[in-house]
Amino acid sequence: MTVAIVGVGYTDVRSTTPDVSFKESMFEAAVKAYEDAGVNPRKDIGSFITAAEDYYEGYSIFDEFVPDQLGAVLRPVCTVGGDGLLGLITGAMQIETGVFDVVAVEAHSKASDILTLENIMTFAFDPVYNRAFDAHPFFVAGLEMRRFMHETKTSREQCAEVVVKNRRNAIDNPAAVYPAKITVDDVLNSEVIAEPLTRSDVSQMADGTYVIVLASEKKAKKLSDKPIWMKGLGWCSDTPWLESREWGSTVYTHLAKERAYKMAGITNPRKQIDFAEVDDWFSYKELQHIAALGLCEKRKAGKLLQKGSFNRDGQTPVNVSGGRFGVGNLLEASALQSVLECVLQLRSEAGKRQIKDATTAVAQSWRGVPTGTGCVAVLSNEL
Amino acid sequence: MSFEKIRDPRRVRHWKGDMECDYIYTAGIAGEKFFTTIRDKAKLLATRCAKCKITYLPPRIYCERCQASLDNWIEVPKTGTIETFTTVHMDNNGAPLSKPITLAFIRIDETDGGLIHEIGGTKPEALKIGMRVEAVFQSKSKRTGALTDIKYFKPV
Ligand SMILES: [Zn+2]
Repeated sequence: MTVAIVGVGYTDVRSTTPDVSFKESMFEAAVKAYEDAGVNPRKDIGSFITAAEDYYEGYSIFDEFVPDQLGAVLRPVCTVGGDGLLGLITGAMQIETGVFDVVAVEAHSKASDILTLENIMTFAFDPVYNRAFDAHPFFVAGLEMRRFMHETKTSREQCAEVVVKNRRNAIDNPAAVYPAKITVDDVLNSEVIAEPLTRSDVSQMADGTYVIVLASEKKAKKLSDKPIWMKGLGWCSDTPWLESREWGSTVYTHLAKERAYKMAGITNPRKQIDFAEVDDWFSYKELQHIAALGLCEKRKAGKLLQKGSFNRDGQTPVNVSGGRFGVGNLLEASALQSVLECVLQLRSEAGKRQIKDATTAVAQSWRGVPTGTGCVAVLSNEL
Repeated sequence: MSFEKIRDPRRVRHWKGDMECDYIYTAGIAGEKFFTTIRDKAKLLATRCAKCKITYLPPRIYCERCQASLDNWIEVPKTGTIETFTTVHMDNNGAPLSKPITLAFIRIDETDGGLIHEIGGTKPEALKIGMRVEAVFQSKSKRTGALTDIKYFKPV
């Protein structure tokens, strides 16, 4: 059996949302998703899943704060302490059990309510070995970026091109907060945070909410005339010990991809994957993820990106939505922004940025420093 | 009806809240042995999984690759190689640092691990990946059994 996405609902992405609570944003996205799927949450949806991290939310035991606005009171509900894609994979597995035939998955960002994001990130570090320094937590990104550039002979300019591309792509995405025509020099000349990483190498925060409705194969065929099939799923965690990791590459993506591609029958990703939405928390991270997904030869991501291979009209378009750089960094919800873009493209509903004749896409996620955890999903409009 | 404009939207729309989260963290069997040895002897200890041929630094009492218990403690050199480094210009609140700090991941010799630590005794411009460094310990009276018992790593 293959699980399908049969409904998507989402709010506008905005840099701040002082007028609505996170619950009201979830309500808006949920109503739209249920409408899109043609389901009644009180009757048709068997289980509800949110992907959230307590410290980003400002609540202990955040799971308790999600049922009412999703139509999930007195129903099976759980929260996954991971990104939206892990939530989606969990939903697919619940359907695979045969217990539920329709599941709703939610993730959101209310980043504008977080006053001390740096402190929360530092609190994610090992307290004994990694919290001893009065340094911005992005020092880990600085260390990773330098090692990646060293191992792959990627230039500083090639990393900056990721930012230029994604913010340019966002110009054609009405949902994006940070569309811009910027230059490589703009990125290079911005304030340095942790050499070689500058402020412009870091995606900017935004608020937004996504709800996605999943259905079993049988149910999806009844509910939707454009189901998007979840053909391959994988997820993986590297060791949490920074001291035991490889600093230049992302083994978690590589292994998650192996699993997802095997399940989906992808043997030649460069031919079989029409476009990709990958994590771009930091500029260099997109290049690492492109390589780990097998969308180019090892060590060539920077050079090929510079040549335009991952542009909207390139060999494998990457982050046509604008990614975290263009749409905005939605914390755990960016993974569902990636899934949404895949769904819109595969349904031919992506407007001005529509990629022609696309049938198969890959969405990939990462949870930011200092994590070594990410997911990969292969999505297709063909069963 | 009032036409007075609310100029600070937080006055009606937001409540400020703090999460006061104070914890103590247990170093554990491996951490305690590692840090007391640094404090008392200015030496680095590691554990080794003979089966996987992995030497763990920071030491652990288990192997993350085969799940075996590890009690094979070995002393390792205080020297290593800079695998990557960064000069950080902001503090952990996001404010500019008056004095930037240079951090590196140092692969400690004879281990498969290492330590993230400050680099001292040289200018950041002089640093290169692959450079050899050694740990400089605090004087014995100042050591408390923490990572900061190593002042920094300096080029050798
Ligand atoms: Zn072992």
